[in-house]
Amino acid sequence: MMAKRKFNKIKLFAMIVLAGLFVAGIYTIYLDFTIRERFEGKRFALPARVYARPLEIYPGLQLEPAELNAELALLGYRQTAKADEPGTYRWRGRELDLTTRTFVFGDGPQPSTACVVRFADSQIVALTDRFTESNLDLVRLDPALIGGIYPGENEDRVLVKLDEVPQSVVEALIAVEDRRFYQHHGIDPRGIARALFMTLSGKSVQGGSTLTQQLIKNFYLTSERTVRRKLTEMVMAVLLEMHYSKEEILETYLNEVYLGQDGNRAIHGFGLASAYFFDKPLPHLGLSEGALLVGMLKGPAYYSPRKHPKRAMERRNLVLAQMVDAGFISEQQYRDFRATPLGVVDRPPRGTSPYPAFVDLVHRQLQRDYRDEDLRSEGLQVFTTLDPQVQRIAEKSLQDRLARLEKARDIGSGTLQGAAVVTANQNAEVLACVGGRDPRFEGFNRVLDARRPVGSLIKPVVFLTALQHPTRYTLATLLDDSPLTLKQPGAEDWMPQNYDKRFHGNVPLRDALMHSYNVATARLGLALGVDSVMANVRRLGLDREVPAYASGLLGVNALSPLEVAQIYQSIASGGFRTPLRAIREVLTAEGDTLQRYPLNVEQVIEPGPNYLLTTAMQAVVHEGTAQGLYNRLSPDLNVAGKTGTTDDYRDSWFAGFTGDSLAVVWVGRDDNESTGLTGASGAMAVWGDMMVSMDPLPLVLSQLDNVERLWIDRSSGLLSNEGCPDAVELPFIVGSAPTKSASCGPGSMGNSIKNWFKRIFQ
Amino acid sequence: MTKTTILRWACITVVLLTGCTALQSPPQQTEPSANNAVVALLGKARLQGEQGRLPEASASLERALRIEPRNPLLWQELARVRLAQGQYRQAENLAVKSNTLGYGNSVLCRENWRIIGQARTRLGDLQGAREAFSKAE
Repeated sequence: MMAKRKFNKIKLFAMIVLAGLFVAGIYTIYLDFTIRERFEGKRFALPARVYARPLEIYPGLQLEPAELNAELALLGYRQTAKADEPGTYRWRGRELDLTTRTFVFGDGPQPSTACVVRFADSQIVALTDRFTESNLDLVRLDPALIGGIYPGENEDRVLVKLDEVPQSVVEALIAVEDRRFYQHHGIDPRGIARALFMTLSGKSVQGGSTLTQQLIKNFYLTSERTVRRKLTEMVMAVLLEMHYSKEEILETYLNEVYLGQDGNRAIHGFGLASAYFFDKPLPHLGLSEGALLVGMLKGPAYYSPRKHPKRAMERRNLVLAQMVDAGFISEQQYRDFRATPLGVVDRPPRGTSPYPAFVDLVHRQLQRDYRDEDLRSEGLQVFTTLDPQVQRIAEKSLQDRLARLEKARDIGSGTLQGAAVVTANQNAEVLACVGGRDPRFEGFNRVLDARRPVGSLIKPVVFLTALQHPTRYTLATLLDDSPLTLKQPGAEDWMPQNYDKRFHGNVPLRDALMHSYNVATARLGLALGVDSVMANVRRLGLDREVPAYASGLLGVNALSPLEVAQIYQSIASGGFRTPLRAIREVLTAEGDTLQRYPLNVEQVIEPGPNYLLTTAMQAVVHEGTAQGLYNRLSPDLNVAGKTGTTDDYRDSWFAGFTGDSLAVVWVGRDDNESTGLTGASGAMAVWGDMMVSMDPLPLVLSQLDNVERLWIDRSSGLLSNEGCPDAVELPFIVGSAPTKSASCGPGSMGNSIKNWFKRIFQ
Repeated sequence: MTKTTILRWACITVVLLTGCTALQSPPQQTEPSANNAVVALLGKARLQGEQGRLPEASASLERALRIEPRNPLLWQELARVRLAQGQYRQAENLAVKSNTLGYGNSVLCRENWRIIGQARTRLGDLQGAREAFSKAE
């Protein structure tokens, strides 16, 4: 009986053990699977990298030496004595010796070029190869990295291969973290014992984890501190070592570890940390610099060399001492390295974008074609259209002008807000995008998300719609600017007023736009049909429906600055619509082209009416509501533009274009209160500041063969002559000009008499 | 409306629709550009086109257009690339764009009309193609 019970007990015990082993076995297989899955697949999520446009330099390019210097600084080029390594330069008076970096573009890899750039005034006059002294047609610099689209936790890293890692970094790591790394099999019993002894004897608290265990912890486990987790970690570490070599584990470790925080971006891996703290690639890292990074692993925030240089220095020197202890460096080397400064650069190179509004635009355009998780993990390279020079100008113009306006007009400091977008006229590339007064702020992006009533910015579309009917409307057609009441069923009567609260009788169509007369515009728009005006808004590029209320003719519909830019873009490019483009192409991490965004155009407006409208918009600046612009800019620029002011001065707009660029500026308040600013006193001032710095090309309209120019009497809209009082030369679509003559015009009584005398005396 | 006014507006409509008619014979461009960078990029694009690397040819032309956005020859070349890419609607639009910028350059305009004619043929618009080809002569 006793024997039997004993036997049963043993049997039970054996079964429990077996069951336990079985469960442990299954669990181990599960862990094994987990480990291999992560390790075999892609180990790291790589953010998409976003690049600015590459600067192309060529003889004839208008460029200040200072602008080129700014570009080189953005690219991290270094000024050296010889300037013979890629990414270096030196100035010799007005000549620049420059060695470009190699770079893989969408059209293939581009080798490094050593060239000499000669300036005269603010122009590049010669470009030669430094060695052969032959002339070069053009040189394309590598593009500046302007940001990334980061994984969920905002982890950023630059992957490195083990053979790129300086030996000293590996040695420092082994000396400090895991001396028996090359001997153990994932766990180190001696290390554990030592750690236990040190901890129990109260000498210090040590982890005793191998590098393999640390990697497991980072990779697969949460940071809870339980015995179970520790056991799991140990099992996994052994499994990992069974499957992978020491080199693979070390390389992964070096790429994984967390080394610092840049705003909301987490700095991971030695590759990025090297750039972030020392502004140099990892292979160029010195021994003491590597020692500092290794030391920081223990607590990247606590030992941050930027925030706590003293602590970081002590920690680094401790690492150096450990390296002596482990036999990696000599006592003499230790003393030498101890004496070196930390070598950390004051300002980290750009990480989270300095241009968040633009990167936001890029991100949203990418989301049309890519899954967000791919953008955040596949290491895509995104080549954009951003021009850092123009961006810098746009940011500064907005910031400075808003501050000046607040001061001059006694507006509460910091209450004004604004947004600006600049594009290239013909190809619709977005050159700059300023989402608010603080351009580094990654929050509300007003260029895309602040939809505001556009006011008179809509008027060019009304006038364009009229000019598309040359049989009915020309620039000389007299419009009725007398009181107007529109009775609408179920709504209050609509009685538009002019800005000056007066009515102006009969005014030529061109003058009505020039002075931005509301009543004449409203009457014109009603005659044309609100629907057909709104259809034109869509045709010009607004990609959503807007309600066709009569008040829409005076701009009650709210649009974002980007949407306004799209509409004006089609006018600026001669009636051809091109979707505004922020991206040129997307490459894979390996440099293969994934997608191009080629230049496409669609003719949406006939060239003739577009030409007439543009000349009227030029008149707005020469003689109309925007004439203040020529206090600052040369009238030869022939800017075409339009001001916009909304009720109670809530929104101040200006949209306009020169020969090469188009810009839209909005100024207002986030709480939608009155600013007291008109389009001219607010947004236009910012616009003017921008153009003064951008030094744009004058707007010269290409001649069309169905457009002729004739002199017109302003008050009657009839034919006149050059030199007649109140005569103005206007373009007409051939055959649409008035045939009757005003008193001073051809065929007038005065002229007939003059001609009669002429005939007699000839 | 009198008969003459009707006739007059009919004329205007015709003029509106034509665009690039070379009324006088202007000085012809011999060089595609005075800017060597543009000439080099155009040459590169043509080479890439001959090699059948059409997306690259397109990218090179866009680089040239960034330097000279109003050079009608570059727009025309881009139209030709789109034609080769089978993007006929684009080819037509780009050739029209070249026309609006190429006032007075009859050789260029005729070539544009040829491209437009080819594009319309491929699009099945035979009537439109005939009109385009007649302007190319």
